[in-house]
Amino acid sequence: MALVCPMNFDKDKLRSEVRLTYTQVAEDPAGDYHFHRGAEYAAKHLGYDLPALKDLPLAATEVFCGMGNPFRMGAMENGATVIDIGSGGGMDCLLAAKQVGPNGTVIGIDMTDAMLERSGGAARAAGLANVRFEKADMTRLPLADDSVDVVISNGVINLAPDKEAVFAELFRVVKPGGRLQFADIIMKSDLSEDARNNIDLWTG
Amino acid sequence: MIEQAGFREAKVVEKFDPFLGTNKEKTARKYGVDGVNFLAYKR
Repeated sequence: MALVCPMNFDKDKLRSEVRLTYTQVAEDPAGDYHFHRGAEYAAKHLGYDLPALKDLPLAATEVFCGMGNPFRMGAMENGATVIDIGSGGGMDCLLAAKQVGPNGTVIGIDMTDAMLERSGGAARAAGLANVRFEKADMTRLPLADDSVDVVISNGVINLAPDKEAVFAELFRVVKPGGRLQFADIIMKSDLSEDARNNIDLWTG
Repeated sequence: MIEQAGFREAKVVEKFDPFLGTNKEKTARKYGVDGVNFLAYKR
């Protein structure tokens, strides 16, 4: 994972490839992918509570493909406003919604229509009225300055071609006293120029 | 990068091995890729 795209890297193509990959996951969660998915993976590899996941609609959990577990760093506070960057099928949003309660708000942000359709349906099936999903680019969030208590995310920011822009935007929307509490991937080695230009490595 | 944006006390809190058993496990090992939990604050 490079921090920024090399010069002349086609960022639009990257976004398109990411959107295509996760549309495929949304439409065919049992398909052949290079990453694990689902509730059993989340529990076994990432420490999620399996019974809690089994309480959620399958539409949300079967497409989960996160890289860590934001909730192991602490529960979301009652009444908090939480956003999830790259909310996918909505699993983390639904967990957060249960934690913040009816006086709190959870907003899932995603750019993939098929995932937004899935997560919206999952929230309705779960009967959670304090969570909504918005289509947006993570560098241009439809949120006011200083409006968010906690940002969660799970294996998404690494897919952004301009991570500096993402963190600048997150800083804008987080309240003073608020926090980032997210999961992602890090890499110990520097990538070669060829690897940095390999779009397959960027998309997953 | 997180602190350059203005956040403070940025740290990796925990590591995971999300590619274990996948067909990208070898690539992940080659580049030293780990799943991690991050925490950072806006003071």
